[in-house]
Amino acid sequence: MTSPSTRPRPRRRGRWLDLLLIAVILLLVGIAMFPFLWIVQMSLKTQLEAFTMPPKLIFLPTFENYVSLLQDNSFLHTFANSTLASTITVVLSMVIGVPAAYVLSRSQTKADSSIALWVLTTRMAPPIAFAIPFFLIFQKIGLIDTIQGLVLVYLTFNLSLVMWMMRTFFDGLPLSLEEAAWIDGANIPQTFLRIALPLSVPGLATTAIFCFLLAWNDFFFALILTRSATMTAPVGIVNFMNYEGWAWGKITAGSVLIMLPVVAFSLLVRKYLIRGLTAGAIKG
Amino acid sequence: MPALLILFVVTIAPSLFLVATSLTPLDLSRPATWWDFRDPLVNYRSLLRDDLFASSVWVQVYLSVATVGFQLLAGLVIAVILNRRTRFLEAVRAIFVIPMVLPPVVVAIIWKVLFTPDVSVINWALGLVHLPQPSWLTDPHLALWTIIIADVWEWFPFTMLMILAALQMMPDEPLEAARIDGAGAWQTFFYVVLPLLRPVIVLAALFRLIESVKAFPLIFIMTSGGPGVTTQPTNYYAYLQGFSYNFIGYSSAISVIVLAFSFLLSWLIIRMAGTRMQLD
Repeated sequence: MTSPSTRPRPRRRGRWLDLLLIAVILLLVGIAMFPFLWIVQMSLKTQLEAFTMPPKLIFLPTFENYVSLLQDNSFLHTFANSTLASTITVVLSMVIGVPAAYVLSRSQTKADSSIALWVLTTRMAPPIAFAIPFFLIFQKIGLIDTIQGLVLVYLTFNLSLVMWMMRTFFDGLPLSLEEAAWIDGANIPQTFLRIALPLSVPGLATTAIFCFLLAWNDFFFALILTRSATMTAPVGIVNFMNYEGWAWGKITAGSVLIMLPVVAFSLLVRKYLIRGLTAGAIKG
Repeated sequence: MPALLILFVVTIAPSLFLVATSLTPLDLSRPATWWDFRDPLVNYRSLLRDDLFASSVWVQVYLSVATVGFQLLAGLVIAVILNRRTRFLEAVRAIFVIPMVLPPVVVAIIWKVLFTPDVSVINWALGLVHLPQPSWLTDPHLALWTIIIADVWEWFPFTMLMILAALQMMPDEPLEAARIDGAGAWQTFFYVVLPLLRPVIVLAALFRLIESVKAFPLIFIMTSGGPGVTTQPTNYYAYLQGFSYNFIGYSSAISVIVLAFSFLLSWLIIRMAGTRMQLD
């Protein structure tokens, strides 16, 4: 960058720039995180404190909102539905999608473009365009307001993603171990179960978490395809807004509970998360 | 081949079904309207005369262009700032991704809280400096902007991640050449880095444009399309027609139009990604 004789000066300037940069970054983090932190602190205040302006930044946190929420059977019910639908979706899409991804990876077929297209179309199509046919068919065959119906819809989105993410992961595994197993007389299912799967634990975990996020975060399909029996938490929380004004305490505490697994999981797999978030947009 | 079969079942079949229902006057409260193809274009003719549809298209365009524009700007600036390989910045990057993984419902509630006058800390802060404290969500000129702000916050991480990935794969040679030629930091950015980023910026913009119809939860919770129809984009209008008024046939016709636009933009993406792969 500079000739050796002038080096010391730019270096000092560089240090100032670094400090300035860190200050700017921290400011940006503050701005970006403020809305998120705001709702968290609100959920820990009493209804009265939440309305107090200027807002108290130092306060004794209370869990009364959470307690009243956990005593609310209808909310617990929606939370259980969300957990059930998301878990079944994850299990099924992994059980079907992972072996399929392995076969695709090892058979060297050029199915790349068709999976990419599938990921892209399920991701791109406006949800309402899927919701109408699913709604009409589900009405005919009695799948409205059932966990099975919800899982079926989520599978269409998750299977493609599982195949896409796991295929790139399997492609990255060294073939030599599997070849050694074949020479020792193992067949393909054995190689898959004993060699490839144990080596792919990080990829499996990331993909599973990603599937969970997609199903858990869904609002639109749950809104249209469920009624009271299988209503999920994101739809259920909206109900707190309709009754006698707004139950701010319950709404904020409910929001925190709904986002808790998502935030926890994302931070857990943050390294791999980025690959999943941009799936279909960036290769590999 | 089986992959193509699944592709057909889960994506093409529903689309065909949608097109079929769009050719019927299907009304859920009148079962006789199922598969009534006597006047297939009835919905599309109504669309042409429907002022609410026209206004919804305008809202959709306004919303999409504004959100994508600001997301690109925010994503670009933050990506350039974060484009260094240090542990600190990698941790920061993980934090910036949070808005994008939050459940959309929670994002909507967060911004509803921030924009509801009684509890709004924003209004309190505006009051401190003696600025007007608007009732954001019910003001016809501001309501759409509250949705835009919430959407930009939710999705800037996506453009940031894409641009960041491109920055990290950027070859060193052009940057060094610019440096040797005596270009300053700003000149290098505008004449070397930005042109190299152009493909990824266009790609990210197309992706976000298509996905901008997913602002549904924000609108549903923050404004319900109001005041009036000022925050009612096309997909929300389709939802109302189909699931509030039971006019599934008409709703399907609107969805077909939205779907056609999505396909057009997706096709552009595939073409662009194709040319990019050839360049690699």
